[in-house]
Amino acid sequence: MKIKVKKPDVKIYCDITKCVGCHSCEIACAVEHSKSKNIFSAVKEKPFPKKRVKAEHINGKIISLHCQHCEDAPCVKACMSGALSKDEKTKGTLLDKDKCVGCWMCVMTCPFGAIVRDIENHVAVKCDLCPDRDDYACVVACPTGALFAGTKEEFEKKIKGRKK
Amino acid sequence: MNYVIIGGSAAGVTACETIRKHNKKSSITLISDEKFPLYSRCLLTYLIAGTIGEDKLCFKDKNFYKENDIKTYLGKKAVSVDRKERRVSLEGGTKISYDKLLIATGATPKSVDVPGVDKKGVLTVRKIDDARAIMNMLDNVKEIAVLGGGLIGLRDAYALRQRDKKVTVIVKSPQVLSQMVDMDAARVIASVLEKNGIKIMTGVAAKEIAGDKSVESILLDNGERLACQLVIIGKGVKPNTELASSAGLKVEDGIVVNEFLQTSDKNIFAAGDVAETYDIARESGRINALWPCAVEQGGIAALNMLGKKKTYDGSLSMNSVDFFGLASISMGITKPTLQLRSGSVVSEVEPPKEEKKYEIISRTGENLYKKFVLKDNKIVGMVLVGDIKTAGIVSALIKNKIDVSSIKDILLDDDFNYAKIMPLVKKFGDKFGQEEFNDTVITY
Repeated sequence: MKIKVKKPDVKIYCDITKCVGCHSCEIACAVEHSKSKNIFSAVKEKPFPKKRVKAEHINGKIISLHCQHCEDAPCVKACMSGALSKDEKTKGTLLDKDKCVGCWMCVMTCPFGAIVRDIENHVAVKCDLCPDRDDYACVVACPTGALFAGTKEEFEKKIKGRKK
Repeated sequence: MNYVIIGGSAAGVTACETIRKHNKKSSITLISDEKFPLYSRCLLTYLIAGTIGEDKLCFKDKNFYKENDIKTYLGKKAVSVDRKERRVSLEGGTKISYDKLLIATGATPKSVDVPGVDKKGVLTVRKIDDARAIMNMLDNVKEIAVLGGGLIGLRDAYALRQRDKKVTVIVKSPQVLSQMVDMDAARVIASVLEKNGIKIMTGVAAKEIAGDKSVESILLDNGERLACQLVIIGKGVKPNTELASSAGLKVEDGIVVNEFLQTSDKNIFAAGDVAETYDIARESGRINALWPCAVEQGGIAALNMLGKKKTYDGSLSMNSVDFFGLASISMGITKPTLQLRSGSVVSEVEPPKEEKKYEIISRTGENLYKKFVLKDNKIVGMVLVGDIKTAGIVSALIKNKIDVSSIKDILLDDDFNYAKIMPLVKKFGDKFGQEEFNDTVITY
């Protein structure tokens, strides 16, 4: 599989004031990680394609929560099979599913609950920043513009612009 | 500068990697008494089970030592440390000078004091040679007895059951995983193991291992005799402190270290299964012989060896297991009424008055158990069986000692997730310690 080299320090940010919890990000994520990459075929695939993002809510506020690609990632430190690692160039936290044995040490240590179990394949799944495409499936699918792929500075700049 | 690291597993290798990342020039030497480099001990039961092959056993690239310019002595045991001359002696007489030394000698499986324990076919699982020995025997083995119903014993049993062997686990305690979870959780886990063909006998101990030259049966203290051709001792581990003791370093349960993971000698550091560090939940010294702790300690010890003062916040006991698809995670103090000391139950007593301050909230269901132990409105322990998705979020609440009074009522909910702690992240901000927490609440 050819992995597209992406800009460093990019992760997915969610503007909580704009997220309506429509779950479009979840669907787009699952489709992107399906074999066919087509929603109509993806729903029939076995094992069922897995999403790596989740819309969660509290007190009427909703966040589309992704892996935070932590700089000092607890999951990487906990991974005893060497499946999780930090990409030196992009700073992304990557999971090599061929090395994953499903010990769930990453689930145990991810402070965001952003790594989930793929029970059918007995491996962990997490946001991989869409290695097969130039953009990010969830961001493209977000109908309210709540999701943003970029660096923290870029996101903060975007937020400032929005408030004005 | 000469950096010398004794031990080639999680702590030692992470230390090498961290030193090299910050210092391209200094000499780094790694000494390990094992020849097979860079393998993950925790994967050995997966190897035995047949889930992975030896090619998947390494947690680092096979060229790691070469690429990081690390001189290695593999298959060589460090036998003494001369602190005055700052030299490590190896078996065979080689002497290696150090400026800063890391002792990450790990641990050794505990044995049992049972007649016949020296017979052929009585093994432990700690090193790759142990795993290979077991695998070589499997064709001639039908029945296996595993001594020990703790994490190690059960993992061994689970691996061997996947090889279609008849496996019986002999557990001295009244329950499995007695140091990890309470009776309720143990019952759920044991029932799944039994449904899948592992026989569990609690409250019994081995009295004698019998056989001509190799094992043929095991006699239990209830008078029962089980036929078996292989006995696995899965009773936990004891730290390899001999090297440190003989060098005159302060050793209690493990090598005693300060918050910089420095031993009683300022040029010598310790990390991993051999180090007794500050335990965050218990607020006292403890060995947490766990992979994530070893990696973190190895990294922090390395930074301090480099002279970058880096404080270790402490370790937290945590375990994750998955048996036949039933996932369980435990963390911190899970049984506050037990006096736990370095992983061994010292005594089961009426809790002192102070300990009655613990608050326990729990919920059971089919193949489900959730329990949180709180003290002063802070979570100090957790057991999750069946549904483990919130374990990591709770680990952050335990580690950072966050007051959870506002979310106490929803902790057990099926839809408890990260969003539910966002008000706390917004409120306590930097107390969460990791910058990424703030990233999630920029627009909250």
